[in-house]
Amino acid sequence: MKRKICLSVQDTGIARLKMNDSEGKNIFTKEFINEFVHALDELENIYKPKVLILHGLDDVFCGGAEKETLIDLCDGKIVVIDLILSERLVNLPFPVIAAMEGHAMGGGLVVGLCCDIVIAARESRYGSVFMSMGFTPGMGCTTLLSELVGPYIANEMMFTGRRFRGSELAGKGTHINYILPKSEVLQKAGDLALQISEKNVKSLYLLKYTLGAKKKKLLIDARLQEDLMHRITFAFPETKKTINELYVE
Amino acid sequence: MTKERVIEVIKNNIIENLDDLEVDDIDPQKSMKDYGANSLDMIEVVSCSMRELKIKIPRSELADIANIDHLADKFMDYVDK
Repeated sequence: MKRKICLSVQDTGIARLKMNDSEGKNIFTKEFINEFVHALDELENIYKPKVLILHGLDDVFCGGAEKETLIDLCDGKIVVIDLILSERLVNLPFPVIAAMEGHAMGGGLVVGLCCDIVIAARESRYGSVFMSMGFTPGMGCTTLLSELVGPYIANEMMFTGRRFRGSELAGKGTHINYILPKSEVLQKAGDLALQISEKNVKSLYLLKYTLGAKKKKLLIDARLQEDLMHRITFAFPETKKTINELYVE
Repeated sequence: MTKERVIEVIKNNIIENLDDLEVDDIDPQKSMKDYGANSLDMIEVVSCSMRELKIKIPRSELADIANIDHLADKFMDYVDK
């Protein structure tokens, strides 16, 4: 069976984690999440890289939640494995570069937000699409998105659910490190990773611990509110109806 | 409002929301799914088109739409002729 997550680690200490589910378009199926978490376990416990490049398919970086999970939420099941991802990502002990060549939607965008350095593609679309599907944002989006794009742009993205092209975000003065033609995204990530990999690994981990502290707190703050909103929003009968109508099988 | 105009609006929103497509590539007899549209793409195309045409159609009425032409017919029921 084709792996949904591909992990490679070079001698230089540069690791690459590729979300590679071309069939499922990198949505959060159970297998996808399990493989993802397993790869993070391996990185943390075995490879201990200096830096990680997190990337996806050429057309899709990450697609976010699958229908089944959302219906589970509507049915009152609180345990959602998707939530593990943002938690695990912000707690990684090494710097992470998100190389978002393809689109990133909903929880898939949050995967990028959890990283330390973000590179987007001019041609691709990025959206906090939760509200378009009938429910409030999750996975830390409510605090992490404003860190990356600024609070007012984040408000617009979350309230409207509209997907913004990288080229459009480039004109808005966000905090995204680079917004490049798609073909240059991975190369830029490689350049940055190489610069980072030249540094002392112990100092890198130390610095990551300090710089990552704010994001860990932001995620905790977000989850307090988001989990409450989810309990309420997913209990609305119209939410389940909307999800069922909108998701294409 | 002519049906041709409605189709034009839909087509423009399709190329806006899908990659590597030109207006002339789109055959109204096909479904957006045939051009690789996912759920979100279709929501965006439909809601953008409805906003542009100043109409509002309940989602339940859009569930069984088979192709772009059929969607345009549905829109025509609602636009000011």
